[in-house]
Amino acid sequence: MSRREIVIDPITRLEGHGKIDIFLNDQGDVDKAYFQVPELRGFEKFAQGRPVEDMPQITSRICGVCPMAHHMAASKALDDVYKVTPPPAASKVRELLYNIFMIEDHALHFYFLGGPDFVVGPQAPKEQRNIVGVIGKVGVEAGKKVIGLRKKMRDLMRLTAGKAIHPVFGLPGGVSKGITKEEQKQYIESANEAVEFGKFSLDLFNKVVLQNSEYVDAITSDAYTHKTYYMGLVDENNKSNFYDGKLRVVDPDGKEYVKFAANEYLDHVAEHVEPWSYIKFCYLKQIGWTGFEEGPDSGVFAVAPLARLNAADGMAAPLAQEAYEQFFQTLGGKPVHHTLATHWARLVEMLYAAERMKELAEDDEITDPKVHAIPTEIPSEGFGVVEAPRGTLFHHYQTDERGLVTMANLIVATQNNAARIAMSVDKAAKGLIKKGEVNDGLLNMVEMAFRAYDPCNGCATHALPGQMPLLVQIYDPDKNVVSRIKRN
Amino acid sequence: MKTLVLCLGNDLIADDAVGIAAARQLRDRVGDLADVEESAVSGAALLEIFLDYERAVIVDAIHTHRHPPGTILKLRPGDLGQVAAPSPHYAGLPELIVMAEQMELSFPKEIVIFAMEIEDSLTIGGEMTAPIRQALPQLVEQVVDQLKQWEADFSGV
Repeated sequence: MSRREIVIDPITRLEGHGKIDIFLNDQGDVDKAYFQVPELRGFEKFAQGRPVEDMPQITSRICGVCPMAHHMAASKALDDVYKVTPPPAASKVRELLYNIFMIEDHALHFYFLGGPDFVVGPQAPKEQRNIVGVIGKVGVEAGKKVIGLRKKMRDLMRLTAGKAIHPVFGLPGGVSKGITKEEQKQYIESANEAVEFGKFSLDLFNKVVLQNSEYVDAITSDAYTHKTYYMGLVDENNKSNFYDGKLRVVDPDGKEYVKFAANEYLDHVAEHVEPWSYIKFCYLKQIGWTGFEEGPDSGVFAVAPLARLNAADGMAAPLAQEAYEQFFQTLGGKPVHHTLATHWARLVEMLYAAERMKELAEDDEITDPKVHAIPTEIPSEGFGVVEAPRGTLFHHYQTDERGLVTMANLIVATQNNAARIAMSVDKAAKGLIKKGEVNDGLLNMVEMAFRAYDPCNGCATHALPGQMPLLVQIYDPDKNVVSRIKRN
Repeated sequence: MKTLVLCLGNDLIADDAVGIAAARQLRDRVGDLADVEESAVSGAALLEIFLDYERAVIVDAIHTHRHPPGTILKLRPGDLGQVAAPSPHYAGLPELIVMAEQMELSFPKEIVIFAMEIEDSLTIGGEMTAPIRQALPQLVEQVVDQLKQWEADFSGV
């Protein structure tokens, strides 16, 4: 089967990363284009028989991209497995650390990821449309600010979560370490800096992007627009929350479609399998799978920053709320269907995370030493959900009476977004390939969509510090490879 | 001269564990010649680890299908392609070097990469395959030799 052949760049270590398959019809036009990711094998088998308390460590180590998100979803699932409620200080410590992680991750992404398309500019030569070009444009000082802020956030994570990269503090019923009054001062000081950094970043976005009509046109262009459902965690006031709450789904007109708790996810989210992909495409179960289609009759939905803003009624912090309002006013009201607006949404969220960090750090209850409730129930089944930087992340475990895992299922953000990502890739390909002739702009177009979603590729591990090329393969109607395009 | 040995990989994922396995052996071998770090993170998030080191060895797995599993490749940053990564998770070493230069950060001036061709990079909980296990001691020796070479060159100056 030629379509299974994969060309591997000599410095790409995991096969299949960023692989795009494009199938042509008899006229040489695009029949369908698909974005593929590799899938790690054997997770369920590996988890079976292990103590469920190990899951926060195991799942966070599998993912080299957002370990804190897995650690936290797993810790929350453990609370549910043992039916134990963490003391208030424990929940606050968890949420504080989680928001710190969101700041760090969003900062990395905006400056080093969104930058190539917006800070440098969608029309800039491709040689400049990379991280290096961003530093050139925003200046060395801004670059140093990013590095400096990330270092402070990581120091705080190391202080309380044990390790900056792979946290080890989540337990069923709380956390292993609280925050002292002395440490609280450090958190407050860094939170103030984070709020300033969040304001600085939105200001930069205003100056560099919003005052440039070319950039705004790119954000709102039809090529990157899909009218789908959106999902995100919200608090009791329907304000966005990364750590806890209920999942709210809004329809393509922005109206609430459903709101549900993590343990009801199986009633609302189903997975569709396609023969050409390892990834399972999530869709809204009650609406059903009608293919890679937009609109209210298709169960395709999106997660991640743009989806979270669409799914919420606002932000539970004053400065972020202002930014939220400006976002929707500028882009024509709710919901916003422009995928590239995700980069802006990310900055609104970064400011919210900083304000929430400050609020939690200043809350004196956070220094309460009671941060762990001892589980006393017999373990059974548990669900945990958080908003990872890239979108909603579910963990679901079942155990025997000794707490040994009998079933473990993870639904990661990229799966939730997979159908919409596939639609974006398909739209770019259809616009650029006519009668078998491939336009050179294809990779750039596809990369811009790819960057906005930032798919994390099956929670694969790190890559050897070389580049990850996108690989596009084009097939004739008989499924023979007729062309390969690769970055570089 | 402050020297870093950065071993990349994931000890839960089959042959991807080779860098981590090497780190654990190297810690007993390198003494004062270098600091040995291990990490499973990717791309731009690695930048901070390199800061304030003058030289660095990177140990990692590589999956190209172009060499028999267990083959050890010695590379320099210049051997890695110029970067247009679609995500900072996949930012390349050449890109990190240019970023560090632009921001006037203290980044290693000399970097050598030892990459081992692997067979299985996708099975969670999988054992390292036989060719990788067999080649591991040689990988460790090559890193130690590199560090000794640097030390000799430095002492000779």
